Amino acid sequence: MKRFLTLLLTLYIYNAHAQERLILLNEGMWQADNGRLSYFENGAIVSNQWFRDKNGYKLGDTPNDIVQVSDNLIAIAINWSNIVQFIRPDGTAVAATEDIPNNRRLCTDGRFVYVSSYGHECETIHGTVYFDKGFVAKIDLSNFQVVATCEVGYEPEGIALYKGRLFVANTGGYAEQEGDHEFETTISIINASTMTLEKNIDTGIPNLYGEMSQSGRYLCINSPGDYYEIPPCGLIFDCEKALKGEACFVVFNYPVTYNTTTLDGRFLAVGSAFSYITGDYVFSTLTIDPVTFIETRGQSGLSQSLPGTLQADFANMGQPYGIYVNPYTGYIYGTDAGSFEGAGYLYQWSPAGQLIGKHKVYINPGHFLALPPADWATKTSPFPASPLGGGDEEAVYDLHGRKLPAGVLPKRGSGGGASLYIKSGRKIWYGR
Amino acid sequence: MGEECSMVNIQYSMGKYYLLAILATVLAFAVTASASAQNPETPLSSIEAEVADTIKQLHEVTVTSKQPMRTIATSQTLSGADLQALSTTSVADALKYFAGVQIKDYGGLGGLKTINVRSLGAQHVGVYVDGIRLTNAQNGTVDLGKFSLSSMETVSLYNANKLDYCQSASEYASGATVYLQTKRPTHDSLSVQLRNASFFTWMAKVNGQFCWKGWQGFVDGEYCSSRGDYPFRYHSEYEDTVGHRTNSDIRYGRVEAALFKGGFSSHVYYYDSERGCPGGIVRRLSDKYTNVGREWDRDFFVQASYQERFFRKVLFKANTKYANEYLRYCTKYPENQNTARVDNHYRQQDAYGALCAAYMPWSWLSVSSSYDIRYSILKADLKRFEDVKRVDQKLVFAAQLNWRGIQAAASALHQRYSDWTFANAGAAEPLDRWTPAASLAYTFRGLTLRGWYKEIFRAPTLNDLYYTQVGNRNLKPEYTKQFNLGVEYHWNSGRKSMVNGQWSMDIQADIYQNKIENRIVCLPLKGTYTWSMMNYGETFCRGLNATVKGHYHTGQWNFSLLTSLTWQRDVDRTDPEDEDMYDKPICYSPTFSSGVTGIAGWRSLQFTTSYLYVGERMWSKADPEDILEPYHNIDMKLSYTHNIKKTSLGLCLEVCDVLDIQYEHLPRYPMPGRNYKLTLSFGI
Repeated sequence: MKRFLTLLLTLYIYNAHAQERLILLNEGMWQADNGRLSYFENGAIVSNQWFRDKNGYKLGDTPNDIVQVSDNLIAIAINWSNIVQFIRPDGTAVAATEDIPNNRRLCTDGRFVYVSSYGHECETIHGTVYFDKGFVAKIDLSNFQVVATCEVGYEPEGIALYKGRLFVANTGGYAEQEGDHEFETTISIINASTMTLEKNIDTGIPNLYGEMSQSGRYLCINSPGDYYEIPPCGLIFDCEKALKGEACFVVFNYPVTYNTTTLDGRFLAVGSAFSYITGDYVFSTLTIDPVTFIETRGQSGLSQSLPGTLQADFANMGQPYGIYVNPYTGYIYGTDAGSFEGAGYLYQWSPAGQLIGKHKVYINPGHFLALPPADWATKTSPFPASPLGGGDEEAVYDLHGRKLPAGVLPKRGSGGGASLYIKSGRKIWYGR
Repeated sequence: MGEECSMVNIQYSMGKYYLLAILATVLAFAVTASASAQNPETPLSSIEAEVADTIKQLHEVTVTSKQPMRTIATSQTLSGADLQALSTTSVADALKYFAGVQIKDYGGLGGLKTINVRSLGAQHVGVYVDGIRLTNAQNGTVDLGKFSLSSMETVSLYNANKLDYCQSASEYASGATVYLQTKRPTHDSLSVQLRNASFFTWMAKVNGQFCWKGWQGFVDGEYCSSRGDYPFRYHSEYEDTVGHRTNSDIRYGRVEAALFKGGFSSHVYYYDSERGCPGGIVRRLSDKYTNVGREWDRDFFVQASYQERFFRKVLFKANTKYANEYLRYCTKYPENQNTARVDNHYRQQDAYGALCAAYMPWSWLSVSSSYDIRYSILKADLKRFEDVKRVDQKLVFAAQLNWRGIQAAASALHQRYSDWTFANAGAAEPLDRWTPAASLAYTFRGLTLRGWYKEIFRAPTLNDLYYTQVGNRNLKPEYTKQFNLGVEYHWNSGRKSMVNGQWSMDIQADIYQNKIENRIVCLPLKGTYTWSMMNYGETFCRGLNATVKGHYHTGQWNFSLLTSLTWQRDVDRTDPEDEDMYDKPICYSPTFSSGVTGIAGWRSLQFTTSYLYVGERMWSKADPEDILEPYHNIDMKLSYTHNIKKTSLGLCLEVCDVLDIQYEHLPRYPMPGRNYKLTLSFGI
């Protein structure tokens, strides 16, 4: 019986393996023009120089974010090169724009790509727009040009879409150097269609910097503090309540430096707290169920653990640099930047958290994108030819950009509440 | 409260035995000074004498007084004619021809130039002008691009210490030492130089020298401006990037003056510059945005040294210096969208004094002691930064023996650093350490065998400890241990073969082993998005340095050949469990490099060719592809001087990087490639 179960498990792993396709962004070293893509498939690294292999030229300096826009379009924010690069899922380049300097993070509704930027100017179809603080730019995928912008706080970082609104975490990260402003404590809410600022929600927590994961209406936001007196912490933010004007976030005393969303809508996070005063840092791991956490105002829904061997494996890393759950298969990935001069490593765990393998990648591997498994297309009808062509107005997509069979609405998250889907380029909230 | 405590620290640090040592040194001076009223003996430093003739001018002859124990230390020197014959503009350019030296250069005229000797790291290299150290309390490195060769008589590199009878404690305190010896004028003169060079570079220089009643002095002024917008090209299978370097311009002015008499020497220096700090060449879709940062520097120092000998057995030296440095760094420009917009000012002041005394009871033995004290203050308008004050005291006891070809030297150095600041976490704990050094050599018929050992540390700089968002006040000093075994041979044909020409030759070879512990590095911190200075890592380096120098002089012909060779293996020894790093070569450290310089002179026509080879270096350990290609660099220089009575007119053409290889010292920072310099000079 035991043997049979092992065989079954092996077969399952093997089968699931065949479905694993992952693009990994290696940031490289600053000003060395060595940002790279790694491509991982079926349990092995295919290439640690994937973009160059496919295109014959290099990606650029310090790529910082990657999102899938549609079945055949992926966007990459290359920070120090000031480029937003569009590629096909096979790695070949489609277009690139440098209209958004100092770009940081991306999100998309399938028709537009929204980019947060620390910069102070942006080239749009209406001419150059200047900002005192940071801004969000909206790129139209029919021509890869910026059609609208919206000024937010200083140094905006994480960006997410919910019900046609953009939620932007402001950091004010240059505060320590610039001295003319303090750390930001706000989340800016922007109407994505008009690109106007609707409101700023003050969290009272400075420097909302880092990875920002989304699980339906919930966001998982990190604050590294100021590294001196103000300790780091994390926030669970409820976009729905924010739109209604209710109390919409709960703070907890652990940083969530690297975080991701599981298939059942929970957040997994790895964090480190550091203070220049004491010179000490404290490592933490968290699993958060946002529904329970918000409902109980932080009384429950948070556990200081990660599934399987993840916790121990992360604790043994030289320099944890990212965590990710494949939204199609539930396989878990993590990266270790090691000593920053050397190559980093990609770790793969089963959905239950058992370590499957460790793969050498490149310098500072920090950002992930899973591609739909090879057989995904047979399960769903193919994505409309191209977002450039306008697309199918009636088609429905889930938050990962996967087209859903007609009549099927996406599964809701782990708790109660509502579901989200994308239709006609807008995110739609589907109440229970 | 914090202030009071720190003040106590400082007072305590001037502790008992320091006071005793100072008293002892001062007493020794007072007693001997009162006993010997006049004894104006020739200083030990080199003196030039020129013999004039009614018909023709003879070659300058350098008379160097007996240098104590010269061969016991591993040293390389470029002096006089050889130095001037090199195609060099700054001290950094001259040092690259020495064995064991790696230059770090961000390219162009304005780029920071620092040197690294035997892979110890730039902060272990002490640079001394006439025996007094150039310091930068802020970051511990000296930008050698700021020092001109025109006022230098010699440039020397000592691995470990120079060994003179009477040295200040600071001179024992670095892993490698570079000595810049300023020229003592031998006659009155005035010269003017004008230069035009590639990339819109203009330079004008004036030098006036005088000798009057035993006083010698000079004033040297220089102004230079360069656009530095050289073209570059990256051409490989994966790219064909062409462009012009932007924000690589520089403008600087330098005025210095020196005054000497017997054992007294003094120097005033002022340097003022504005430069662009160019970034790495990275993928961009256009030239619209450049990562602009600009830097302004104003450096001033004044220093004086006095050396006197009493009763032929006691040597006394006193050094003093005041330095004031200002640096401004600004990134508030519309072309810069990529970094924080800063406009920061840093001001640093240094006051320094040293007393040294040596006693030679017999001709074969000398014992010496020196006490140095330096007070530094650093101010900066950075957020969360408070003024930092540092008192740095050094005390050394040294003994040297020279008996029938056997030379031995030993020293023990004590250093104490105490800081005082209001900064967030308070000041670092005072640092208090003894470090030893010992050398042994035997000379027989021009052949010397030598061996030495030196242990020294570099204290964390004020930036390392207190810099906003990076500094770590818990840093320990970075330790180095050096072993060296060497052989040196001198030969010269002497006067007897004057008819057939004069030969001289110098060969030396040293094998060495260095270990660096507790390296001070800036590292990102485990998942915190922050960087901090940390003590991390150990490196181990084994190598061979060899140099051969030959000179031949006959009639109106002069030939020189200078060669150097470095072979070394510099590996990481941090974590035995890290397969990717342990025992793997250190980044930027070439295994093999060599240089050959040939100088041919006929009357006042001179031709120099310098060749430099630097082997392959890794710049990251992540991919075998991440290497800097080996490069060959050839510089050529042709100069001619025409003398009419007492005036001279000179013309000099230099071609640098003749092969036009735009090599890199750092990835994506291309060097300028082939460039030209034309210099016109006029002197009376």
